[in-house]
Amino acid sequence: MFWHTLERTIIFTVANVGLTMVLGTLIALLLVRVATWVRLLLTVGLVLVWAMPPVVAVQVWSWMTISQNGVVNYVLTQLHLGDFFQHNWYETPTSQLAMVTTLIVWGAIPFVTITVYAALSQVPRELIEAAQIDGARAWRIFKDVTLPVLMPVLLILTSLSIIWDFGAFTQPYLLIGPGQQVPSNYLMSVYLYVEGFGKTDFGRGAAISILMLAIVAVMSVVYVRRMLRVGEAA
Amino acid sequence: MSRRRAGSLGWNVAGLVLFAVMVFPVFWMLSTAFKGNDQIYSVDPVWVPGHPTLSHFRDALHRQYFWTDVKNSVIVVLVTVGIALVLSFFAAVALAKYRFGGRKLFIVLVIGIQMLPQAGLIIPLYVVLGKHGQVNALTGVILVYLTFALPFCVWTLRGFILGIPKDLEEAAMVDGSTRLGAFVRILLPLVAPGLVATSVFAFITSWNEFIFANTLLHSGGKQTITVWLSYLYGGNRFVDWGEIMAASTLISIPVVIFFLLVQRRIAFGLTAGAVRG
Repeated sequence: MFWHTLERTIIFTVANVGLTMVLGTLIALLLVRVATWVRLLLTVGLVLVWAMPPVVAVQVWSWMTISQNGVVNYVLTQLHLGDFFQHNWYETPTSQLAMVTTLIVWGAIPFVTITVYAALSQVPRELIEAAQIDGARAWRIFKDVTLPVLMPVLLILTSLSIIWDFGAFTQPYLLIGPGQQVPSNYLMSVYLYVEGFGKTDFGRGAAISILMLAIVAVMSVVYVRRMLRVGEAA
Repeated sequence: MSRRRAGSLGWNVAGLVLFAVMVFPVFWMLSTAFKGNDQIYSVDPVWVPGHPTLSHFRDALHRQYFWTDVKNSVIVVLVTVGIALVLSFFAAVALAKYRFGGRKLFIVLVIGIQMLPQAGLIIPLYVVLGKHGQVNALTGVILVYLTFALPFCVWTLRGFILGIPKDLEEAAMVDGSTRLGAFVRILLPLVAPGLVATSVFAFITSWNEFIFANTLLHSGGKQTITVWLSYLYGGNRFVDWGEIMAASTLISIPVVIFFLLVQRRIAFGLTAGAVRG
C-alpha cells in the first residue's frame, strides 16, 4: 500500500505543481498586459482567493460541486459542454483527487501569480525594447530575456509548491470526506493519518512519517541551499 | 496603433473572464449566505439573492459551540502571536547583527523546519504532548503552533532588520547612546512595519490551521473555529448550506481584512516564508 500511495502522491503532486506554476505564471504575464483598472480588479480578486481559509474553501467547493443542485453542474450544462445533470464529481478515486487538484490549484495560483508579477518588474525594460527593435518575436523575448530573470523565483516557487502539495492534508481529507478515505484514494498525509492515527497504530504511522519526512528532506535540499545563499549574501 | 488597441482589448477581456472565474467561489459563498432556502435549493440557481436574509447568519451564531470555539481560536492566536513576536524579534536581531557558533546550523534549522509536512509530525507530537497532559488542551495547540510560527517569524524579521542601515545605530552610539538605548530608539521604530507584517502572518496561519487542532482537540466546546466549521457538514442529515456558507463568511472576514492590509508587503518579501493553506 505504501508504494501505491507514494506513486499516487507523486502523480498528484506533479499535476498540482505543474498546473499551479503554468497557470500562475501565465496570469502574471497577463497582468502586465491589461489596463490598470483590470489589473487592480484582478489583484483584489487574487488576494480574496488567497485569503480564503482552506477549510472554508473546502466547504464552498463541496457546495458548488454537489450532485443534486450544484452550480458547477448547472453552468457546465448551460454552456453545452455536455449533460452534467446530477453528475457526481466524487464517483471514482481519480475524479475525487481531480476535484482536490482543482481546489488546491485554485487556492495556490494567487501566491504564484503575485510573486511572479513582482519579479517581472525586475526585468529591465531597455532589454525588452532593444529586443523588439531587433525584431525579436514575443516568444523569443520571453525565452531569452524574461525567463532568465524569473528563473530564481520560479525555482523557489516550484520547490515550495512541491513540498506543500506533497504534504497536502486538509483539502483531500475534508473534500473527499473523513469517512470516505480508503486505500484507493490515499495520499501520503492522509494515509499516515488514517493508518497511524485513526487506527491508533502509532508505530506504523510513525514509520510512514519518517519515510515521508525523509522524502521531503531530500526534496527540500534545493530550496534550503538557495535560501542559505540568499541569507549569507545579505 | 489600432492593432495595438485591439490587442489590449483582447487582454482586458481575458483578464475580466479570469477575474470572474477566480472570484466565483467567493461570490457564490456570499450569495448563498444571504439567500432564502427557497432560492438556495431552486432548480435553476438564483445568482443574486432576491430578498436578502440574515437568518443563516443568525443560525450560525446560535449554533452550539460557535462562540466558545471562536473564543478558543482567539486565545490560541493571540498567545501564539504574542510569544512568537517577542522571541523571534530577539532571535532575528541575534542572527542579523552577531556572529556566533552554530549560527549556520541555526539558519538551516529555521529554514528547514518550515518545510516539514505537518501531517508527518502529528503522531510524534501527539505522543509527546499526551505524556505531559497537553492533549485536548489549548496550551498544547499553542506549543505546536509556536514551532511553526517561530521559524517563519525569525526569518522574515531578520530580513527586515538587515534592511536597516547599520550607520543609524552606530551614529546613535557615537552620540553617547548605550547599545540598549540605540536599540530601543532607533531599531525598534524602524522595524515596526516588519513586526506588524510578521504578526499578521502568524495570525493568519494559526487562525486557518486545521490538522493539529483537529487531532489534538477532540471534545466539543474545546476546539478551534476551523474544526467547528469542518464538523458543520457531517453531523446532521439535512445539510443546511445557507448556514454553512454564512459561517464560512464569518470565519473568512478577519483573514480577508488582514490579507488586504499586508498584501503589498507579501508581494515583495515573499520568498522568505511559507504562507499558504
